[in-house]
Amino acid sequence: MTTTAETRDADDVRRNLLEFLKQRAKAEVEPDFDLFAGGLVSSLFALELVVHLENAFGVTVGGEDLKIDNFRTVDAMTALVVRSGGARG
Amino acid sequence: MTDPAAMTDPAALAADLVGDRAGGWDLAGRLPDDVVRAFAAAGVLCPQVPARFGGLGLSSVDTGELTAHVGALCSSTRSLMTSQGMVAWAVSRLGSPEQHAEHLPRLAGGTTAAVAFSEAGAGSDLSGMAARIEVDGDKVVVSGAKVWVTGAAYADVVLVFGRYGDGAAAVLVPTSAAGVTVTRVPDPLGCRAAGHADVLLDEVRLPADHVLGGAGLPVEWLVTPVLTYGRLSVAWGCVGILRACLAATATHSRTRRQGGRPLAEHQLVAEHLAELHVAEQAATRLCEHASRCWDESTPELVSAAVLAKHHGAVAAARGASRAVQVMASAGARDGHPVARAHRDAKLMELIEGSNEISTLLLAERALAVWA
Ligand SMILES: Cc1cc2nc3c(=O)[nH]c(=O)nc-3n(C[C@H](O)[C@H](O)[C@H](O)COP(=O)(O)OP(=O)(O)OC[C@H]3O[C@@H](n4cnc5c(N)ncnc54)[C@H](O)[C@@H]3O)c2cc1C
Repeated sequence: MTTTAETRDADDVRRNLLEFLKQRAKAEVEPDFDLFAGGLVSSLFALELVVHLENAFGVTVGGEDLKIDNFRTVDAMTALVVRSGGARG
Repeated sequence: MTDPAAMTDPAALAADLVGDRAGGWDLAGRLPDDVVRAFAAAGVLCPQVPARFGGLGLSSVDTGELTAHVGALCSSTRSLMTSQGMVAWAVSRLGSPEQHAEHLPRLAGGTTAAVAFSEAGAGSDLSGMAARIEVDGDKVVVSGAKVWVTGAAYADVVLVFGRYGDGAAAVLVPTSAAGVTVTRVPDPLGCRAAGHADVLLDEVRLPADHVLGGAGLPVEWLVTPVLTYGRLSVAWGCVGILRACLAATATHSRTRRQGGRPLAEHQLVAEHLAELHVAEQAATRLCEHASRCWDESTPELVSAAVLAKHHGAVAAARGASRAVQVMASAGARDGHPVARAHRDAKLMELIEGSNEISTLLLAERALAVWA
């Protein structure tokens, strides 16, 4: 990543996550698509998503943040990154 | 941390604590309590706990080499590293900052820990877990029957996974709490001194802050990070098993003579040595890759750990069988390093995702990458 939390905004995060889903799950989805209802998130992929969020945006996703609703959609994950200080809102 | 030597060289401490006694522990089916305590006190059982919490603060790569080192000496002791490391990682991954501050220094400083997922009705499929963690005011009540919990016979605390509302949770249960009964599994096939035990939880009441964060997540979400640590640890342990087999067979086949020459000069024996060498190298490289993914926090670490574990376990089981073949009667007694390796490695094909379950996960990965 060349961007930092200061220069990055929510749209950058959203774009990054959509690209990650495309690469890793071969899925082109809308930002509000329910990834669980869509069966896209296997047990391994769930952890890959968490590690990707942490690695790409320099945030820590632990304890309280580990709620399924924070990962349900690309929009929800984007909001989590913004809340955790990984990007401007 | 009381022992400065362990701080600088945990591998030397391990070699010193185990010495040549692993065979005797295998036969006795027990590790001496003072040995378990010394390993725990030195932080060697969970070497990745950061230094700010009193841990050794090793990287995954360095932890892996230490794990292989201990695994080559004694798979039972290495099994305790796997279990305690999983508990420490669960606390790091799932716990709140308060839980980190409370539990990590203990886990790195003498408290012994085990991790309990499995039940009679929930082995490969953990969604079948029946244990329950129920909130009751500022307490939780834990009930269930866990089986085959590695290290439970030595553990001060067991991290118990159970149902929690619609999802699952993990709770730290002191084995001294009222309602906890720990019963050793008699005569395990391998890792015989690892203190496997069934753990019965009869309405164990604990402060609610013993429940780690992430409570309510689907069970696979909760267990995958913990199993990922376990897989990598088992994989490195399998590297250790292969190294022990190489050391025994190389020495023996050079010194023992049959048909007028050393065993190693018989080509069919040499093939066993070559294949053991290939197995150890391939297993090591896969482990190093997965550990580097871990240290760099790349998402690939999740599948890389499955790959390393699967390859390591299969290679160790085959390799140990070869080692017994080369040693023949010289290795055909319990307690001998290759006899232990043979039994210990077989069990590595069952745990942290059996060969079959690992295969299914790897097929999923293959489809994700290549389809
Ligand atoms: C030495 C040892 C240490 C252990 N330590 C611990 C511990 O510390 N904590 C803990 O919680 N548990 C522990 N266990 C339990 C271990 O996790 C389980 O044994 C393991 O998950 C397999 O479950 P099972 O034995 O019930 O086998 P089963 O799940 O009944 O499987 C039997 C066979 O069927 C295959 N199988 C099952 N499902 C499928 C499927 N969907 N597709 C294809 N094949 C399948 C399996 O691969 C296996 O070959 C330990 C076990 C051993 C032997």
